[in-house]
Amino acid sequence: MTMSDTIHIQIDRADGSLQRLIGLVERRGFHIDGMSMADEGVSRRIALTVRGRDAARSIDNLGCQIDRLFGVARIGAPAYQSEAA
Amino acid sequence: MSAAAPALKTSPDAAPQSGARLLVSTLERLGVDVVFGYPGGAIMPIYDALTGTGLKHILVRHEQGAAFAADAYARASGKVGVCMATSGPGATNLITGIANAMMDSVPMVCITGNVPQGVMGTDAFQEIDILGVTLPIVKHSILVRDASEIPAAVEQAFHIAASGRPGPVLVDLPKDVQFATAVAPFGFNVPNEAIPLNHDAIAEAERFIRAAERPLIYIGGGVKIAKATEAVRAFAEATGIPAVATLNALGTIATDAPGFLGMLGMHGTRAANEAVQSSDLLIVLGARFDDRATGKLAEFAPHARVVHFDIDASEIGKLRETHVAVAGELKPGVESLTARLAVAPLAIDPWVIRCATAAAHHAARYDAPGEGVYAPALLKQLSEAAGDRFVAACDVGQHQMWAAQHCRFSRPEAHITSGGLGAMGFGLPAGLGAKLADPSATVVTIAGDGGFMMNIQELATLKRYGVALKIVLLDNSSLGLVRQWQELFFQENYSEVDLSDNPDFVKVAEAFGIEAFRIDRRDQVEAGIDRLLAADGPCLAHVIINPKENVWPLVPPGKSNAEMMEGA
Repeated sequence: MTMSDTIHIQIDRADGSLQRLIGLVERRGFHIDGMSMADEGVSRRIALTVRGRDAARSIDNLGCQIDRLFGVARIGAPAYQSEAA
Repeated sequence: MSAAAPALKTSPDAAPQSGARLLVSTLERLGVDVVFGYPGGAIMPIYDALTGTGLKHILVRHEQGAAFAADAYARASGKVGVCMATSGPGATNLITGIANAMMDSVPMVCITGNVPQGVMGTDAFQEIDILGVTLPIVKHSILVRDASEIPAAVEQAFHIAASGRPGPVLVDLPKDVQFATAVAPFGFNVPNEAIPLNHDAIAEAERFIRAAERPLIYIGGGVKIAKATEAVRAFAEATGIPAVATLNALGTIATDAPGFLGMLGMHGTRAANEAVQSSDLLIVLGARFDDRATGKLAEFAPHARVVHFDIDASEIGKLRETHVAVAGELKPGVESLTARLAVAPLAIDPWVIRCATAAAHHAARYDAPGEGVYAPALLKQLSEAAGDRFVAACDVGQHQMWAAQHCRFSRPEAHITSGGLGAMGFGLPAGLGAKLADPSATVVTIAGDGGFMMNIQELATLKRYGVALKIVLLDNSSLGLVRQWQELFFQENYSEVDLSDNPDFVKVAEAFGIEAFRIDRRDQVEAGIDRLLAADGPCLAHVIINPKENVWPLVPPGKSNAEMMEGA
């Protein structure tokens, strides 16, 4: 069983932004085990609990991939919480 | 990030204009001169606004041709390529071209019309959620919901497409937004994204290089994109470190330059792959450890530590452990490293001699028996005859690999190929886009009979605009690369690769009004190349080659680059 991690993200309220984020996470080989979202006006704050499909999936690399998105910022990176799933 | 982004200036226009007009004037202000596209219902206001402007619209005959042409226009010019299409099928026809630009990091802006916002989400006629459909294959995308936002959105799209690691950006414009009038006082403020040079990492890279006995430069397509060609050449010359290149990096170091060992990977040279497998330090510049370059990753460069320079931090450590990571602009990073290393020479003479000896020993031979056309020799001759203004716009297949292996490239812009996506059908529209971007260049589309048929309709575009593209159609009456794999890896079970019922390509070209002739013997090659290059307008050379010819050497899929196969 791979470890799960929680990533905290601030995301602009733009067309397709949620799809863009979630699609990226799944496409890069992670399951989404949990998600919560809080409305902050022009943006949204999201906590995503993710787990790699296999041991080769790097949470650090996923973080870098998220950083490439526009209108998306990781909060407190790279201090995500790590716990046994 | 990049200084390559266009200079964006705000010029507030007081008078209200339609969204369509705002789009066109923004494109003009951004310095766009050529747009590739195809009209349709949901983009008619924009086509209405195009007339009488300074924008040159190239009407292709299929939207995929527009996207591929815009991609190659960007690769040949260094500018952002622009294509446009209507909603629904127009937009979906762009998709393969968008994916191609994404995979090879090409700056492109794709403008799509969409149905009016009031009916979006109702399955309206020609409605497709193109923003949703393209999410995995764009660098970014913007659905503009208010005409007043068009200038800022388009400027932002151009900035994102060109800056950092470039890529395609989609701008989707519902029809009501194109019709609506607005005053658009906004300009996009270019963010300051410069990443400071990491001097500590560069100093560490220097230490690794000085400690290495068998260092090797592994050049990727990112060098050309970063306009760091001269910096990388200076680095290689100053240090004497041998170099290999990926498919998309050919020409970064001239094919015949000393120390250049050729392409690595599946159809790379023996000298390049042997050097990689023996190296104790890979200096990776703007490359991403693609599987066609690495072969079996676990056995790739087994003795090497890795120094990796890349603008995209997500590529560093993605597939291969990195010992020194230098994330940021390539050019200043490499220049700084060169300055450090130029102070005292490296003691790598035995390694340099070993690499040069291997390169000489494994040099390609062109004395194939028989009287038929030997495609590798023809391509070498073609590139030599075309000289420094040569640009090869390749399709995908055996001919693409032969071009990569045997053409002489003196600059990276001379080789335009669908590397990451490997999209058949790229060659002809890519040649169109490249020739329009660089009219003084000798642009030659190198295609096979399979891929050529996928966008053959663009012959009409060549004729319409008098684009003097030269086409070398290497016809083996089959899907050659698939046939080769079936021969080698599927027990010669030739399934659906026979194209011997191809049309007469000379007659087809002539029907489009394009000069064409046939070459089917080796003794016709020299005169054929002369005729092709001397033609004033577009011209096609239909070259008959042996269907049994294979691409050698070859690393079987999933195998280590140490296990190269060679033909009889």
